[in-house]
Amino acid sequence: MRIDRLLIGLGKGLAVAVLLAWSLVPIAFVVISSFKPGRDIFAVPPRHAFSPTLDHYAALWTRWGVFFDGLWNSLLITAGATALAVIASTCAGYVYSRNAGRLLNGSVLFLIVVRLIPPIVITLPLFPIVNLLGLNDTHLVLMVLYATFFVSLGTVLMRTFIDQIPRELDEAAQIDGAGRLTILRRIIVPLAAPGILAVAVFVVVFAWNEFLFAFIFTGTNAKTAPLVISEMIGSIDGVDWGILFAASTVQLAPVLLFVVFMNRFLVAGLTAGATKG
Amino acid sequence: MRTRKLTDLLPFIAPVHILILSVIVLPALYVAWLSLMQSTFGQAPSFVGFANFRRVLADPAFRSALWNTVVLVMVAVHLELVVGLLLALLFASGLPFRRVLLVCTLAPYAVSEVIAVVSWRYLFDPDAGPVTQLLLSLGLPVLDWSFEPMHAMILIALLTIWLHLPFTFIILYAARLAIPADLYEAARIDGARPWQAFRRVTLPLLGPAIVVALLFRYIFAFRIFSEVWLLTGGGPARTTEVVAVYLYREAFTYNAFGTASATAWIMVLASLLLALGYVALLRKQVTGNAH
Repeated sequence: MRIDRLLIGLGKGLAVAVLLAWSLVPIAFVVISSFKPGRDIFAVPPRHAFSPTLDHYAALWTRWGVFFDGLWNSLLITAGATALAVIASTCAGYVYSRNAGRLLNGSVLFLIVVRLIPPIVITLPLFPIVNLLGLNDTHLVLMVLYATFFVSLGTVLMRTFIDQIPRELDEAAQIDGAGRLTILRRIIVPLAAPGILAVAVFVVVFAWNEFLFAFIFTGTNAKTAPLVISEMIGSIDGVDWGILFAASTVQLAPVLLFVVFMNRFLVAGLTAGATKG
Repeated sequence: MRTRKLTDLLPFIAPVHILILSVIVLPALYVAWLSLMQSTFGQAPSFVGFANFRRVLADPAFRSALWNTVVLVMVAVHLELVVGLLLALLFASGLPFRRVLLVCTLAPYAVSEVIAVVSWRYLFDPDAGPVTQLLLSLGLPVLDWSFEPMHAMILIALLTIWLHLPFTFIILYAARLAIPADLYEAARIDGARPWQAFRRVTLPLLGPAIVVALLFRYIFAFRIFSEVWLLTGGGPARTTEVVAVYLYREAFTYNAFGTASATAWIMVLASLLLALGYVALLRKQVTGNAH
């Protein structure tokens, strides 16, 4: 019996070790290598003891100023897309939660079906339209694209979260003469905050990391950080791995910390998103 | 009265629907129209019926891209499912530092495809990558992914599993936590061995979550673009192309908008087919819950 327990404990320990290695090694190598002197990055055998250096970060700063512009663009676009998606989804989720009707129910189904259209499909017609409107290579076009691809999930999520707020609260406020907008702002938004955060986590992670739309719709002016990093990979004078790792670490660190701190909302959102819509 | 109520509500749902209609639905319909046209830059589109679809379906490059995508989806999604299920059971069996381990397991969710490609390209660098060296020192075969299409596909599959395992795992783990402990207690009292409890209690009750996780991942894995584009660009010689990369090339490299649109609608229809299964399942689940 005791041997059984020991064996099970050992097996679990091994499984956890493999899991941690699988999940964290690819991230750890990027971060640690960004502090390695250039000659140690591809040392054979790999060198684990090295004197840390900030050389690659300094080189990134002097030689790839465009990366920091990209970081700023990513920040603006992520903030804009998140605000747009959260506001639009909360308003719609509120109405869908508190009202029923054939038309409304039909339009929820429509929201779910729309998620089936792959993003690359719509790049084809949008490319000339965006050019025609003079919006190519602007922050606005990415904000709108990123928000749009999450408002359907966002609306369904917000409806699920708002369903859990007792209707009596709205009704009491209504008797006191509050309109829909007041009820939404004063009652729903504070109580549905976990739902709002769950939607925000999805949009922030997507908008900060997205590649395809940024690749197609931006050139120089609104280029995002992931796009600049992808250009470093394909750089004609060969890949400078040290600089590449430094840039990757700078891009990765904020979103990784964000997910770590918001993990509860991410889990709640993923679970509700998969079962409800 | 009813119409008044609807006009009252409209301002609240309008932003969502205006965004979706103008950015997704109308462009997708325009693509459907375009797929029946012959079209490129500086030339008025002319109607050609289903010729674009016939041409795409007969194109060996498309067939190879479709084959690659289907194999990739089948291998990656099912491996994800098995590993995600094992992880869910491991976590449910009780682990110390569970929250910390959970956060570590979720970490790849935060990583951009671009950064993931940087990392995996480095780890599996054919000359000096740390994983390559580890495999060599153990006397195991290494991935020669920049020359061997098969090896490149393996690396793409590993990469995509790494990025999406957190999603599959969370769906299954949440469903596993929702199974009441009494059921296991009852099974134990009835003399069920752990394997029997898994077969008769866990697996049937996880069924819906497994199907949901599978369908979501089928639909999303079918769109794979960035990992392939950044790792191999579809090369060598278009051997690792997937459907989305084929579409991109038709549209933005060859400016063949008609065939690109046909490819796009083949993708939409494939997703719809997968989703029909999903909707049927949801309906069954809803009526199942009513009992």
